[in-house]
Amino acid sequence: MKAEFVLVALPVSALITPSAFAVRYLTVEQAQQAIFPGKSFTASPVKLTSVQRKAIEQVSGVRVLHDDQQVWRVSGGCWFIVDEVVGKHEFITYAAGLTVDGSVKQIEIMDYRETYGGQIRDQKWRVQFVGKTSKSTLKLDSDIKNISGATLSCRHITDGVKRLLAFYEIALKH
Amino acid sequence: MRSPSNIEIRRCQPLLGTFVEITAQGRDERLLTRGIEAGFGAIAKVNRLMSFHGRLSDVSRMNRDAFPRGVIVHPWTWQVMKAAKRLAEESRGAFDITVAPWLTKWDYLPRRGYQFSPTATSRDIFVRRGYEVFFRRGLTVDLGGIAKGFAVDRAVDALKENGIECGIVNAGGDMRTFGPASQLIHLRHPTDPTRLAGAVRLRERAMATSGIYFERRKHHGRYVSPLLDGRSGQAARELISVSVAAAECTTADALTKVVFALREEAAGVLACYGADALLLQRDGAPSWMFHSSCDTPGRTRFD
Repeated sequence: MKAEFVLVALPVSALITPSAFAVRYLTVEQAQQAIFPGKSFTASPVKLTSVQRKAIEQVSGVRVLHDDQQVWRVSGGCWFIVDEVVGKHEFITYAAGLTVDGSVKQIEIMDYRETYGGQIRDQKWRVQFVGKTSKSTLKLDSDIKNISGATLSCRHITDGVKRLLAFYEIALKH
Repeated sequence: MRSPSNIEIRRCQPLLGTFVEITAQGRDERLLTRGIEAGFGAIAKVNRLMSFHGRLSDVSRMNRDAFPRGVIVHPWTWQVMKAAKRLAEESRGAFDITVAPWLTKWDYLPRRGYQFSPTATSRDIFVRRGYEVFFRRGLTVDLGGIAKGFAVDRAVDALKENGIECGIVNAGGDMRTFGPASQLIHLRHPTDPTRLAGAVRLRERAMATSGIYFERRKHHGRYVSPLLDGRSGQAARELISVSVAAAECTTADALTKVVFALREEAAGVLACYGADALLLQRDGAPSWMFHSSCDTPGRTRFD
């Protein structure tokens, strides 16, 4: 099998293009089946009271941005939660499966989008993005599918999961 | 190359402190899903074994007990220790897994009260038969510079063992492609992660990139980064990024640190491993490229 390592020269315009990296990995239904295959799901959304929100923040040490939490009860007593986190460069929707005793079964990233807030000072770059929705993937000579660079930290997901575990203790457990 | 009945499944999980993405192409959706799950399983296992933070990981056990008693580790950990020791020798110390004291000083890694011998290096590590690791002096190892690449390789094995013929495993930029299709990999701009500097095409090959743009921290008023020259403990302060392609991601991952430290002088080590390197300067321009001239499976070319 031959190996290739070819540097593809990009046109100059591409060099100043922000990396509109957006991937939809799983829909809600797909994430449900990925974490709890064959189970049935009953939507049971939760709206936090201000007391609950403060308690979750205190227990987890993580700020709660939304009072509404998308929750499904899984047949057999487990929980399926869809949550969002915002990082410095990224906006992520993910699903967490919690077991009957409230421990993490599995985490799946559902949507991953890189954002540019505060990063773009050059107006020319901004113009290129007018009309692009967060879901559209930039077309180059090919879609941007794989990016290599210094490792992105998933610390925001770690914090999000910490918050969800506190959410379970305070709003779901009983 | 891709027949109409070919499907592609992509999944992403937070593992190894980053986002691990596995893409598999084939015809049978259930086969692909099972393979991808086995791939994530292999990465989670490497995470458990080689985490610096997990108290029960092999790394923590070695740091506690490899000096003076020696510890028996999992064959995978043993393999990584052996690879790390060889890389340290080949790079004459530029790659060294015993650099943790500086990292703990800069708060990149937790202070755990381990004994540090200030002059200890990889030479004080002995990787013996029977999966035993022994430290001749009190030292602390951190496999952060090599374990991610190793995890990618084990995930690729798991995918192949499950009958998947084409795919890519990408652990936060350290990746490996396998199968007949080549993959286009975009490289982030060294000084602005929201821009792209170029693209590389890979087939049947691994590539790892190290840069410091996401990782800068201030220590006594100076920016420091976890990329260190193992010989001096000096952080690579220039904002650049280094990409290395090799047959295996374990070597590609570790060699980025060697190139960071040695630059052009890394050519000999890269040749040893049949690896190629690409260094991007602050403005995103490729400043130094190395084509391995030894018997790599295929001709390597930069355009």
